[in-house]
Amino acid sequence: MTDTPDHRPPEMQARPSRLRRAWESDFIYSFTRSPVAMVSAFVVVVLVLGAVFAPLIAPYDPFNPASLNLMNGFTPPGTANQFTGDVFVMGSDDQGRDVFSTILYGMRISLFVGFAAVLLAMTIGVTLGLIAAYVGGWVETIIMRIADVQLTFPAILVAMLIFGIAQGITPPEYRDQVAIWVLILAIGLSDWVQFARVVRGATLVEKNREYVQAARLVGRSGNAIMLRHILPNVLNPVLVIATISLALAIIAEATLSFLGVGAPPTKPSLGTLIRIGQEFMFSGEWWILIFPSATLLALALSINLLGDWLRDALNPKLRA
Amino acid sequence: MLAFTIRRVGQSILVLLVTGFVAFSMFTYVGDPIDNMLGQERTQADIERLRDQLGLDQPFFVQYWNFLKEAAQGNFGLSYRQGRPVGEILVERLPATLELAFVSGLMALIGGIGLGIFTAIRKSGALSSSIMALSLIGVSLPTFLIGVLLIYIFAVELGWLPSFGRGQVVDLGFWTTGFLTVSGLKALILPAITLGLYQMTLIMRLVRTEMLEVLRTDYIRFARARGLRERAINFRHALKNTLVPVITVTGLQLGSIIAFAIITETVFQWPGVGLLFINAIQFVDIPVMAAYLMMISVMFVGINLIVDLLYFAIDPRLRVDRSAAKGH
Amino acid sequence: MIRSTLTVLAFAAAVPASAETFRWASQTDPSTLDPHANNSTPVLSFLGNVYEGLVRRDRVMGIEPALATAWEPIGDGEGWRFSLREGVTFHDGSDFTAEDVVFSYERAASEGADTASWFAGVTDVTAPDDYTVEIRTKAPNPIFPDSIANWLIMDSGWAEANGAERPATTEAGYATLNTNGTGPYRVTDRQPGLRTVLEPFDGWWGEDRGNVTEGIFTPIDNSATAVAALLSGEVEMIEPVPVQDADRVEAAANVRLIRGVEARVIMYGFSMDKDTLIGGETDGNPFQDARVRQAVAHAVNVPAILQTIMRGSAEPASQLVGSAMRGYSDALPDRPAYDPERAQELLAEAGYPDGFSFLLKCPNDRYINDESVCQATVAMLAQVGLDAQLDAIPVRNYWPELREDQFDMYLLGWSPGTFDAEHPIRFLVATQTDRIGTWNFGGYSNDRIDELLPQVQSEIDEDARQAMLDEIAQIVQDDAVYVPLYVQPLLWGAADNVDLTQREDNFFNLRWVTVN
Repeated sequence: MTDTPDHRPPEMQARPSRLRRAWESDFIYSFTRSPVAMVSAFVVVVLVLGAVFAPLIAPYDPFNPASLNLMNGFTPPGTANQFTGDVFVMGSDDQGRDVFSTILYGMRISLFVGFAAVLLAMTIGVTLGLIAAYVGGWVETIIMRIADVQLTFPAILVAMLIFGIAQGITPPEYRDQVAIWVLILAIGLSDWVQFARVVRGATLVEKNREYVQAARLVGRSGNAIMLRHILPNVLNPVLVIATISLALAIIAEATLSFLGVGAPPTKPSLGTLIRIGQEFMFSGEWWILIFPSATLLALALSINLLGDWLRDALNPKLRA
Repeated sequence: MLAFTIRRVGQSILVLLVTGFVAFSMFTYVGDPIDNMLGQERTQADIERLRDQLGLDQPFFVQYWNFLKEAAQGNFGLSYRQGRPVGEILVERLPATLELAFVSGLMALIGGIGLGIFTAIRKSGALSSSIMALSLIGVSLPTFLIGVLLIYIFAVELGWLPSFGRGQVVDLGFWTTGFLTVSGLKALILPAITLGLYQMTLIMRLVRTEMLEVLRTDYIRFARARGLRERAINFRHALKNTLVPVITVTGLQLGSIIAFAIITETVFQWPGVGLLFINAIQFVDIPVMAAYLMMISVMFVGINLIVDLLYFAIDPRLRVDRSAAKGH
Repeated sequence: MIRSTLTVLAFAAAVPASAETFRWASQTDPSTLDPHANNSTPVLSFLGNVYEGLVRRDRVMGIEPALATAWEPIGDGEGWRFSLREGVTFHDGSDFTAEDVVFSYERAASEGADTASWFAGVTDVTAPDDYTVEIRTKAPNPIFPDSIANWLIMDSGWAEANGAERPATTEAGYATLNTNGTGPYRVTDRQPGLRTVLEPFDGWWGEDRGNVTEGIFTPIDNSATAVAALLSGEVEMIEPVPVQDADRVEAAANVRLIRGVEARVIMYGFSMDKDTLIGGETDGNPFQDARVRQAVAHAVNVPAILQTIMRGSAEPASQLVGSAMRGYSDALPDRPAYDPERAQELLAEAGYPDGFSFLLKCPNDRYINDESVCQATVAMLAQVGLDAQLDAIPVRNYWPELREDQFDMYLLGWSPGTFDAEHPIRFLVATQTDRIGTWNFGGYSNDRIDELLPQVQSEIDEDARQAMLDEIAQIVQDDAVYVPLYVQPLLWGAADNVDLTQREDNFFNLRWVTVN
């Protein structure tokens, strides 16, 4: 496999030292000039803060079963429950949980799963991608063939398989506790290939550049060259992919919930809330579906818009 | 070329074997088919006899080996639920999925290319910025939710379109089609939108990026300097150069459309292979699950292989790297 | 083996737009059309339109003559003699005779037939003449005629000609896709999992049949999609309607809700034969103490569950069968009251004043809102100090894990196949052996109940039988062997322009449908 003109989309192409330069000058400038990016960033920050400080903000603790009263079930937003007199800003769900609090707590889980899964995918993908490109030979063949096996299966199917096996080998008494970790594992492992392929592609380009050749000539070790010289230069596309993957991971978690392999109902994520909420679409309790869905949309959309902006910002060619 | 082909085919077969192995090892955990096959008055003896008949009491490797042996001859066994050959059932269900995939793919392609060109040419216009932002909504909501919302709006509230199924289908002997009846065509609309939205966004963004790249190249600059009209430049020159990667991506996306059809088919009760697979999971119909997963693998590996070989044929120096082409 | 139906060139769905077409949807497609291969409601309910038994159930569950016109006990409880209806033909035109009944017995009772348990007490079936059948039993069996309404009669000649002498369970046989019954409708198109079409059988002997000229059945397993299909007029009837959508269906124009009480009782069971709990650190197994189980009974706020999660659609249950079942114990009309203080007292008496942790196992796709009910139960138990770890899983994993004892407390629904109180005692309460107590996952064992069960099964005298059933019901409640919660509601949705009958066993009869 030899190096040739790059036909990949721009976000996959790496330019030397682009990251640092962009970060220092263009990056901030571009951010302050983009209302979309600023609004998106604002929304993401607000939502993340809401999730992080959920225990302080949320009026109820929906994860504490002893605090729930079933008679509070299905209270419409802003009205007093006919039995208990309790009022919920965004209404209550079928279990009598405050929807607002549940969303804040659920977002914690969704974001945690999303971040952790992307981190996992990124770590695996970048490491394997670098190794594949730098070492080459049979190591590369094996890694890229494994990537092929994985790509053979759509990510959702891969995640279902991993979830199924993990649940199967977990003793039932621990399933509830490990479900979140299993989700992270399932989504993370189903998503590393993108990173590996991109990093490998970028590394192959970088590897033959003069500065790497020079580093090699002065006797730097392979590891050092990979970590100190190549890695920083391929991080640009990785960052873009990571942002978009975060949105994808959060949505994948919701999709998995719909297929019955999500966070447990006693500690629901946004996806679980939507899965539960859609059962009440015809019955008039719209708030159980709409509020979590709107939150998910706001979160994923803002992250996607940020990713979009980031791609353009890190790739100055595309700017006017 | 021959050596390359042999190596890639060999690797593809290995990939299939591994896939089959992973899929098969999962079946141990999806549940026990016995309970769906016996009524509530079954005895322990009934359970053991059935397990013996199905070969479920054999060690895992024996089961896997038997599966491979039969599969190599095109025999995927009998569905636990229907008792009929799995191949026969898949063939029955495939037209529904392929027609849905075709329509949603076509929609994604036409919509994606059109909007992509528009947003590239009017790069900083308000409309194209809005399109860019709005298109992200399609990828910021889970597919099932989009489907459920579409059903609620267009089937229940407005009553314009059917909420489930394929409508009336015409049996052509080897193929059942929904293209020949009004109700069949109407039934395609909502599922196709649900399924195609994601791909459309993807293609639109790809076309836009590629267009912007090409429009900046010397070749276009030269055309512009020669005094060619904008329209001619945009369509005759820029678009033509954009289409190669777009077609590659679309080809690769076809596979993931079929896989993603699982969710769409479940929501719309669309009688294709995706729904068959989900039902098979519910009923622990292992032969159907195995055959479906193998079919998907063969399809993906096949597409991958063809694309690789094409790249190789066009330009042997071309590095095979289509990472950007993979959605999720 | 049947070849693919795809070889037939036809307009599969060229439906005449006549008013007598009736389209209905249910969650589950019958897995087979073989009447003896799968003893389950979706199969037997559907086939009840195509095949018939010697007796059948009327609209209110009473037993009435079908292929038999009369029956009487033989001697002193030796068995039953059935006189068969004359002039009945199968869909293919062949005559129905006693030979078909004997054949259907042999087929339905054969090893591998899923219906074999119905004939566990039968020693032999003979045909003294063409229109008489004698069925002999080991012990007197007073409810035998009641227990065979779902035993469907197949044509012996047709079965033999097509190699379908035995029910096809693991491998599809001719009878899996083809039918030849005596019933009011015949199957004219069968696409498993997609659609099945019924048309009236002109040669049917009976009278009581509505005006449907074509019945199209479609399985829709996503209940929200089914509701959407009903509301938008794409089908005339769906079952079940999710409880949360009942009001919507009731309020919508052109459709209505048909409400009933199903035979299925939802209850909690406990692990009683294990030495320790799997979901906690407690020494020993607290659920072996009846007071702990009673505490659970008092801690679960059933009225609140019925009010919110079940939307007022279900009836509370005090015993293992609902009040409409034969053998229901009138002496026990009320379930233990919701009383968290009493629950805490009982726990303290049993030595667990601070409660304990355990694993609560639930299915999440088997019963109506099963996961929600379990979730609410976790909250209610938490309020008396019990820390339940909920493990809600799909039913495909549920039964295997219950068999492997992977639970401390679990949710179970039981629908008595015989519509008699003896049924749950036999399967859920009797000490586990190879044939009985097969669903007694908790390993409960009570000598008195084991002693009474065979007597109940063979007692001819109704009062004496009821007295024994009352005694057993009392023991089950005192011991809190199970904590019955409620009887599941039966909710169907139908278009306003069709008349139909909802039977308590959730069977759907096309012949009771009239399209106006």
